Amino acid sequence: MTLEFSRSEPLTMGIELELMILSTHDWDLMRGAGDLLALIDKNPHPGDIKPEITESMIEISTAVHGDYREMLVELSAMRDAVIKSAQRLNLAIAGGGAHPFQHWSEQRIFPKERFYHLHEMYGYLAKQFTVFGQHIHIGVPSGDDAIYLAHMMSRYIPHFIALSASSPFSQGMDTDFDSSRLNNINAFPLSGTMPFVRDWDEFNAYFDTMRTLQVVETMKDFYWDIRPKPEFGTIEIRVCDTPLTVEKAAVLGAYAQALARHLMLDRPREPSQDVYRVYSFNRFTACRYGMQAGFIDAYARSRRLLKEDIAETLDILAPHALALGSGAALAEIGASLDSGQNDSGWLRDMFKQTKSLSDVVRLQSRLWAGEQRSQPDR
Amino acid sequence: MDEVSFLPTFPLFAANMMLVGAVLLCGLAAGHVFARYLRLPRITGFVAAGLVLGPGMLNLLDRSTLAELSIFVDFSLGLILFELGRRLDLRWLMRDGWLLASGVAESLLSFVFVYWTLRFFDVAPMYAATAAAIAVATSPAVLLMIVHDQRAKGPLTERMLTLTGLNNVIAFLVVTLLFGFVHLEYKANWVRALLHPLYLIAGSAALGYLAFVVARWLARWFGKREDIQFIMLLGLIVATVGLAISYKFSVLLALLAFGVFAKNLDRNHDLMAVEFGPGGQLFLVVLFVITGAGLQLSELAVAGGLGLAFVLARLAGKLAGLAMFAPLSGLTQRKSALLGVGMVPMSAIAVVMVQGASQLYPEFGAKLSSIVLSAVVILELVGPLATQWALRLAGEIDPAAQERP
Repeated sequence: MTLEFSRSEPLTMGIELELMILSTHDWDLMRGAGDLLALIDKNPHPGDIKPEITESMIEISTAVHGDYREMLVELSAMRDAVIKSAQRLNLAIAGGGAHPFQHWSEQRIFPKERFYHLHEMYGYLAKQFTVFGQHIHIGVPSGDDAIYLAHMMSRYIPHFIALSASSPFSQGMDTDFDSSRLNNINAFPLSGTMPFVRDWDEFNAYFDTMRTLQVVETMKDFYWDIRPKPEFGTIEIRVCDTPLTVEKAAVLGAYAQALARHLMLDRPREPSQDVYRVYSFNRFTACRYGMQAGFIDAYARSRRLLKEDIAETLDILAPHALALGSGAALAEIGASLDSGQNDSGWLRDMFKQTKSLSDVVRLQSRLWAGEQRSQPDR
Repeated sequence: MDEVSFLPTFPLFAANMMLVGAVLLCGLAAGHVFARYLRLPRITGFVAAGLVLGPGMLNLLDRSTLAELSIFVDFSLGLILFELGRRLDLRWLMRDGWLLASGVAESLLSFVFVYWTLRFFDVAPMYAATAAAIAVATSPAVLLMIVHDQRAKGPLTERMLTLTGLNNVIAFLVVTLLFGFVHLEYKANWVRALLHPLYLIAGSAALGYLAFVVARWLARWFGKREDIQFIMLLGLIVATVGLAISYKFSVLLALLAFGVFAKNLDRNHDLMAVEFGPGGQLFLVVLFVITGAGLQLSELAVAGGLGLAFVLARLAGKLAGLAMFAPLSGLTQRKSALLGVGMVPMSAIAVVMVQGASQLYPEFGAKLSSIVLSAVVILELVGPLATQWALRLAGEIDPAAQERP
């Protein structure tokens, strides 16, 4: 049996965001997904809102968009719909890649066959998987294009990590990482990267072997940083932390879209195994140091600052952003390069000012709701 | 015999302290037996220990001893009501009108149903009304203890605590206002009938507000250190309980007000949400054993029928009120029913309110307690079970809490 790659409109995008459900009493995670989803479903809302592995998470996913502003409009509407229902249950919602002080052992698996199965298979890792990511889908015309784009995107994975990083605190501690969330994902046996296959046929042969050997059942069992999603006709970038605002989530989508346009139309280089040789190192430094990370350019065989590489990429992407109508989004990325600040920096600032992680969560939930700018209310 | 004057003389000087320790250990042991071997709530074990040790049975805790330990009851209740007040989120109630409506309906209907039932049993209107007002309040001690013990978490738990906060506020206010009528019933003049409830309500609320202002000021000064804020709040709670007693305010109302102000007026979030944890549990155990000791199974023999009718009418009121409005605030019918069942406990707060009435007119208090206490005996034993059962069926209890190492 081979995987059929569905056709999709090239360079369209879809965004999935995993969100925290919080108690407004102590700002710890709250098991409320069941009631929240029941309430949300009573009212019409755009997109799709689903449970995730533990009961204090939900996932929102948008429709397919070609336009960055339409994406932002839908994300904002979904955010408001979730918040409205959450308020009625006295729950709060927030972005961010990891809850700063929840204890993984207190999390509960959402009652659904697949999640119970994952818990049985992975033990405590399943509960430690209570981390919150953004997944970006980019439409590609064929399976071969998906393989090409996935390989080419690998070089840019550190960009996405540093720009989205929003999980500096974990289990009550400052981890020193900008994105601690990806460390939780590394523990899974099927995490990492797609093997170096050249086209869709080779990929299918690989998948078939893995399925025959009963390593996986479906594509869902691979927790790769980028994976083809044949049902949707997309590739899925899975390294981003859920940002603190929907605006940032849309900006990251626009960046992926412009990058995909550049890679697909300009075909600047060929996939190279060299990228994967330095991949783990680049990924680690981006997680650890965020915007201040170093970066090894596998093609140029040189070392530079990640910031410089992003700045240079923004220049290359400028005409593509113009064509896609997402110039404003890329300008925001330029501005965050200038300030050197990502969401992790904001969270650390808030902790410095309030000296309390539960205050940090409260402020982060207000930021998500759009009620908070960059200063705490003091 | 000066040579051996270092030897203790009887009765032992430290008797009181020993007693507290013994009460605590007996309660813990009984709670353990109930939880481990009978699969019943720990609290029921604490109460049972009190029943056995108390005047009704072994009389190891006799009436005078219980009176000496009453300071523990006051402090424990103060702690609980403060904690309850901090769960009463007025903004939530304002935002979700149906939740407020379900809380008011639940309080109103439990009052009305209990009042009618007592009138049906030919209880005089004044007694029926006061007893019915006492019936409005759910026991926060039982709720908080079970939530903590079972690590319950979830929307139903939140609602239960918020609505309990609301029905306690309503019950305290109504009972206090009824004091005015009790004065009139006993031929006191109307000035007294008017001023006493006013003094209780305004004085207690003002004291609660004062405690909040001091707490906020101290919290700003101490900074966000959970351990320090914990001790600071404990200190303020003790002081507030003491002040309420000496000024003859209502301890219940003052501490509840303190908590409500701390939750709703602390706009800069200076006060941290402290977990009273094992320290708080200690007082709860003592509270339940003492409450159990104050009960007598003989009450059941005398007024068992009335007590049972009281309990059923109260349950019907809570269920009907919540079934009417809770579904409109985004709760399923099933969960609304579970919410009602979970809010059944009635405990020490009711006893203390009866005692408050006794201080006014002993004769009134005696008659009132014979009506209320039979219901308390039933609910003291059944209530914790109902709450635990409701939370478990709602899926908000951590299964790991059952088998935790």
